[in-house]
Amino acid sequence: MEPVFQAHQLVKRYRDTLAVNGVDLMVHAGERVALLGPNGAGKTTTLMMLLGVISPDSGWVEVVGHRLPHGRSEALAHVGFSAGYMPLAERLRVREFLRTYGELYGLENPFERIEEELERFHIGHLSSTMCTELSSGQRTLIGIVKATLHRPRLIVLDEPTASLDPDVALRVRTGLRDVCRDEGSALLITSHNMLEIERLCERVVFLSGGRVIADDRPDAIAKRFGRDDLEGAFLHLAGGHGQMPLPQETDRPA
Amino acid sequence: MSSGSLSWIRVRAIARRHTYVLKRSPHRLFDVTVWPLVDVLLFGSIGAFVGQGGGSGEKAFGYLLGGIILWHVVYQSQISLSTGFLEETWSRNLLNLMVTPLKEAEYVAGVALFGMAKLVVGVGLTALLALIAYAFDVTDIGWGLLPIAAILLFVGWSIALFVIGVVLRFGSGAEALAWGILFAVMPLSGVFYPVEALPGLLHPVALALPTTHAFAAMRAILDGRSIPWDRVALAAVGAAVLAGLALLFLTKMLGVFRKRGFISRYA
Repeated sequence: MEPVFQAHQLVKRYRDTLAVNGVDLMVHAGERVALLGPNGAGKTTTLMMLLGVISPDSGWVEVVGHRLPHGRSEALAHVGFSAGYMPLAERLRVREFLRTYGELYGLENPFERIEEELERFHIGHLSSTMCTELSSGQRTLIGIVKATLHRPRLIVLDEPTASLDPDVALRVRTGLRDVCRDEGSALLITSHNMLEIERLCERVVFLSGGRVIADDRPDAIAKRFGRDDLEGAFLHLAGGHGQMPLPQETDRPA
Repeated sequence: MSSGSLSWIRVRAIARRHTYVLKRSPHRLFDVTVWPLVDVLLFGSIGAFVGQGGGSGEKAFGYLLGGIILWHVVYQSQISLSTGFLEETWSRNLLNLMVTPLKEAEYVAGVALFGMAKLVVGVGLTALLALIAYAFDVTDIGWGLLPIAAILLFVGWSIALFVIGVVLRFGSGAEALAWGILFAVMPLSGVFYPVEALPGLLHPVALALPTTHAFAAMRAILDGRSIPWDRVALAAVGAAVLAGLALLFLTKMLGVFRKRGFISRYA
């Protein structure tokens, strides 16, 4: 399978903190990959380098064959991004917001696509609502519609379902699976909801201290570290045991 | 800056996005309606008062009104571009934009295009009020008005690019520059008076500004002389140098913004 995204030996330091320390990452067409790790593991910094928003100190990023930073615009035409912490633009209706971003992604007449994508996530009725009047769940869904509007080769989502109720989270998962299946898009997602990742992703890349310490299927990672599920493996790895599996160790207290 | 040609669709999308914002924030029309009219009223009345004495006072009347109308070309172009960018920071929309294929030049072109519409309204209103209230017709300057206005337009955009660069580097705390910087440029540019009226110490600074030569050209035409092309050329060269320096500065600051991960200030 052809890679849609490659990162090679990414390093990023902020003053005295080494945020990312030699990350290698590859995502293939149609793959659904989770980037996991405890707070401060370097997930968001890695994503920001992949999107060209932050430049790496060393290493390189290539998206659909375009090397950043020179091919940034060409590369990002194939990427859709949304994050749970990203607000929608103020003073715009949902339709206007999506039209703006559809055009920024090169769609000459995005209205038909906007209607299709809103229906995919069952939120067609929000089209005329002001972005500032949406609930947090609705904002998340609109953000994901924005990220998928141009049928990107790679969808990147940073904690998209944080603070969503189970119903909306289910709609997000179902919608994303449909997009990946129908459009052949790859998905790279970060989340702290391990159950969600197990249901959505076929591969997990685990970061700790700015390094990749595990890269495998969710069940294989759980098994490798002697845990029943991904959450157990997460607690184990986040506890600093990434380099040395300890199958008999009990979960860390909260 | 990203390489390659500009996309008209993306430029238009940015211009339209700012039109939506203006439509829902009518208070932002103050910049293009109320302040320009207040300025014309203030400087027009001072000019009318000074002009009553005849002699050089009559000249001052034209200098003041011509000066304030053309100053609004600098003001409107600068303020619309820099506050256009600040709007992205106020609404925390910067990250949304930075993860699209939008090129920096397309963004600037889109906001500048939107700003041109505001500029036409703002400068048009000042010219209209000057005509109605003080019988001063700015078009009496003739064709010389066009290159002078074009130079002032580019100076306004260049100052805005500098302001955007400073905000990228130092964060929202620096946004007061968007309004304040022109208060420093205005007296040094000899908008209403020849540069010789400034303290001698400031002459070199004033003469280095393209705006100084543009306003000197305006006054020469108002005095009934032919277009002083040497001053216009000096102003044009100065404006081109300023634009080059502003672009260089902005590119450098954008590099620092990406290097230091300053996006975290806005996300």
